[in-house]
Amino acid sequence: MSVASPRQPGGPRVAVVLGSGSVKCAAALGLLRVLKREGIGVDMIVGCSGGSVYAALIAMGHDVDTAEAMTRRLWTRELTARRNHRSLLSVFLPRLFGFDESFGMVDDALILERLKATFGSASIESAGIPLYLTATDFHTGEQVVFESGPIVDAIRASIAIPYVFRPWPIGGRMLVDGFMSDPMPVGVAIRQGANIIVTMGFESPYQQKINSPLRFAFQLSSITSNNLLKSNFAFHNLAHHAEILPIIPEFKDRIHLFDTEKIPYVIEEGERAAERQVPYLRRLLATREESGMPR
Amino acid sequence: MEITTEKRGPITVVAIAGSVDGMTAAALISSFRAEVSGGNIRIVGDFAQVEYTSSAGLRALLETVKETRQQGGDLRLAGVTPDVLRVLELSGFTHILKIFPDVESAVASFPA
Repeated sequence: MSVASPRQPGGPRVAVVLGSGSVKCAAALGLLRVLKREGIGVDMIVGCSGGSVYAALIAMGHDVDTAEAMTRRLWTRELTARRNHRSLLSVFLPRLFGFDESFGMVDDALILERLKATFGSASIESAGIPLYLTATDFHTGEQVVFESGPIVDAIRASIAIPYVFRPWPIGGRMLVDGFMSDPMPVGVAIRQGANIIVTMGFESPYQQKINSPLRFAFQLSSITSNNLLKSNFAFHNLAHHAEILPIIPEFKDRIHLFDTEKIPYVIEEGERAAERQVPYLRRLLATREESGMPR
Repeated sequence: MEITTEKRGPITVVAIAGSVDGMTAAALISSFRAEVSGGNIRIVGDFAQVEYTSSAGLRALLETVKETRQQGGDLRLAGVTPDVLRVLELSGFTHILKIFPDVESAVASFPA
């Protein structure tokens, strides 16, 4: 059963927005499970960074078990095992090795291969639910929203983690991770006319120990993106005319970048957090449907 | 959502039970507006029984904070539950609101 909305024109428009958060984004599958069980339809899905993977899987109509299995095959520690030696050397000898905007410490051949194995040649516009995936223009900092084109390319751009994966070129633009412009892109759903926005996003974890230049850089990135998350979310809450429901799972354990073995636990917590919002979501939908909320 | 109001000297304590969301925010705004228009501009929102707040709830809080501060008062929160605190933190509201562990400390925080 799909979560594509069966509602008639004139009713509420429900969006699910999945922000960045790597493995924690699997909590979206818990949300999906609850929405399906409750028969709550979704009119659009927005995904960013790790959330873009789950947004695409859900929009393509995969059930929770299938999506979980697919992401466990996709996202493993081996993805970062092969270094991009030329890029690394270019840090120390920039002229000799030609340091440029395509810097990324990890060889991205495997992630690309895995994305292709997961999504094939599927396009964004072919998804069962309108899908929007976000990335960030490396040169201008602007948010870039993909509404069409190959899912693989859009996700590759959306998960171009700074320093780790090289920026991804699409249409003449170099694109980096979507979280750099908005870690939880609620604004996309507002712009697309959603009135009830169910959103799930996560703060970037802070380093437990700063014992390398990379950890130092990641720490700075987390500080910036977490403050960006809060300021954007504050603005969207105040700017939106209707309702934004944040679903915030609570993880007792720290979830690391490749803790894929914790995905079942992450899904459970996502389900639990979503269940807490179901009574209100139901009342809200009933009220909006009665009032014939304009699209 | 249930709202009860209690005067503690010059401070008005507005205790809220339930969710502060799109279904209830209008009632909460009305309640706050009634206090502010009656000159009660030093308000403590007792959030110990608030289970959840959504964007509509945040907008209600912001309106009241702005109204009270424009008139020299304030809206301060007390006893915020962990679920609500997470939303307040995520939305940056902890930067602009004064939040206290309980009503007593929030009431005491206002100058005599």
